[in-house]
Amino acid sequence: MLRQQVRDFLNAERAAGTILGRPDSWLTGWDPGFTRRLAERGWVGMALPREYGGSGRGNLERYVVIEELLAAGAPVSAHWVADRQAGPSILRHGTEEQRRRFLPRIAAGQCFFSIGMSEQHSGSDLASVRTRAERTGNGWRLTGTKMWTGGAHVNDYAIVLARTDESADRHAGLSQFIVDLRDPRIRVEPIRLLSGEHTFNYVHLEAVELADDALLGHAGDGWQQVTGELALERSGPERFLSTLPLLIALVAELRRGACSPEQHARVGRLTARLASIRQLSLSVAAALEAGRPADVQAALVKDLGTRFEGELINEAREILPVAARFDATRGSYPELLATAILHSPGYTLRGGTNEILRGIITRGLEASR
Amino acid sequence: MSTQSVFERAATVLAGPSAPDTPRAVWDALRTAGALPPLDADPADLVALVGEAGYHGTPAPLAETLLVARPLLAAAGLAAPHGPLAVAAGPLDVVFAHPDTGNRVGPPGAGGTDDAVRVSGVLSRVPWARAADAVVVLTEGPSCGPVLLLLEAGEFLRVEGTNLAGEPRDDLVLIDAAVPAERVRRIPAALAREAQWRSGLARAALIAGAARRCVDLTVARTGSRVQFGRPLSHFQAVKQEEARLIEEAALVDAAVGAAAAALPTPDTCELPAWIAAAQASASVAEITRIAHQLHGAIGFTELSRLHLATTRLWSWRDEDGTEQAWCRRIGRQVVEGDPLWPQVTGG
Repeated sequence: MLRQQVRDFLNAERAAGTILGRPDSWLTGWDPGFTRRLAERGWVGMALPREYGGSGRGNLERYVVIEELLAAGAPVSAHWVADRQAGPSILRHGTEEQRRRFLPRIAAGQCFFSIGMSEQHSGSDLASVRTRAERTGNGWRLTGTKMWTGGAHVNDYAIVLARTDESADRHAGLSQFIVDLRDPRIRVEPIRLLSGEHTFNYVHLEAVELADDALLGHAGDGWQQVTGELALERSGPERFLSTLPLLIALVAELRRGACSPEQHARVGRLTARLASIRQLSLSVAAALEAGRPADVQAALVKDLGTRFEGELINEAREILPVAARFDATRGSYPELLATAILHSPGYTLRGGTNEILRGIITRGLEASR
Repeated sequence: MSTQSVFERAATVLAGPSAPDTPRAVWDALRTAGALPPLDADPADLVALVGEAGYHGTPAPLAETLLVARPLLAAAGLAAPHGPLAVAAGPLDVVFAHPDTGNRVGPPGAGGTDDAVRVSGVLSRVPWARAADAVVVLTEGPSCGPVLLLLEAGEFLRVEGTNLAGEPRDDLVLIDAAVPAERVRRIPAALAREAQWRSGLARAALIAGAARRCVDLTVARTGSRVQFGRPLSHFQAVKQEEARLIEEAALVDAAVGAAAAALPTPDTCELPAWIAAAQASASVAEITRIAHQLHGAIGFTELSRLHLATTRLWSWRDEDGTEQAWCRRIGRQVVEGDPLWPQVTGG
């Protein structure tokens, strides 16, 4: 059974001392070696067909693998975007040449992607991007600055959203490009988190010359393509499991001593909510697998799930009060608590702020009536 | 009509302004429409039907009969009466009718060669007891271990009461009532536990339905009520709250759906049912708070239909166990049993 195979693999990794059990491991756990060991087992690019190097097992089996990895707090951030978004997006919108060029390397855990959507003035209002792509004789010239580009300093490529037609309406004039992050006209500048960690960057695109084959999909279709990706980005198990390692550590602490009825009740309440959100997330995965639109459902999971990630921290503090310490033993409850707290402002921001997503939810429900 | 499933026919009977308004009328209407679910109906359909009953506030013990009483009677080897059934649990004094003969309770009847047990005590706040053909009672038997008794009207005194929504919640007083052996069965402890989680799941399914009603009424309200020149639903502050209402109702629905999917294999349904019961009860506060807030003053008068859903939600969340009780069970199992994550994923 797939789930058990993944757990056996994770147990072996744990025994080997790979860093596991981390909160927010899909954002900060960058370990290409771990990614390659996963890929050897066919667990990267699972939603990609076999002819492109994937395992062709589909989104629901992929879901099992990634939720096991997240629950274990495994270091998966190297391939995260390639596996979740770039791969499926290239499969769907890319040319045959692009598919053959990128997908087998993604599935082998040897080609890592960043998302180049956000900018300083374009967060939730993605259609306001100012990065421009101008037509040249045999391609495009890309100019602008992307922001919040996770992993741009270590990854290979970014899929960049840029304006290709100034005259078209704000949704119609956008296009996506596959950009080589090693290009000398790209300058990556770190943006450090509260914890001091370096995952995010500015990406300055200074008249980057792109060949024609850098365009992903059709010019002007960027908005539709991005919207499709966002359902993948918002509904996955990473939207409610970022702080699960903290809950697991908390339960391990409670197992050691006497546990009061109040502590039982609070753990039970968290567990019930976790399990219920997981069911909703699974139903979105099933809808996407069946090709049904799930934008509204995905927004709903993202809001519920990311709020839960934060609520879990406050509950943990009440169930088992300790001072959060970033300098405590790595993997100990006070250290995990500190990491989860310092990352917590991000949960309800990344992937579209929750306040804006709630507008999508109510509009979607009214439209369906 | 013949192409419709039993569930679809039943949902039609329960809907609309001319829906039957007494327990007897509900049963008659379902039977006439060929919409009374058979004993071997798909459990997920039964849960969905109970959700419809919750949505419409149907005045009949559909949840109790379909999801609790009938499956328990079947598991205990007793035939289920055709009409509406009530379910009660509680400590009662149960003794053999003829203690001198040295008889022991034993299968298949409760009394061995004895012909009856004698029962005394009070079963409090039994849902729909006055409307039921019979009451399924779970209690401790005379020689220890749980027993299931099927009481018929007339074997108890009834003190009528109601919950916050005006639904019948009667006290049943038993004074040395003789229950014949053919309506008494010893049951395994596992079935007694199943009775509890079935009750929790039944209530959660009702809550999921009433929560959906709150969403529908609220969305209709905020879309049509104009203030300051535009519909309420156009105000950002309203959108924020409304989305949370929609989400919380979806969360309950997902939890109930997961338990319903597990129902065909009752051995693995206990935790999903506890979770559904806990989440349903826990979500009621947020759902009713937002629905009333967005309805404005009209919502807490009888001029609006909202109260039909919210008063039921406030009652149901505490019947068959409070969220605190369900959460404690879940938490104890998580802290003392298998690791948390395998439990959440079901293995």
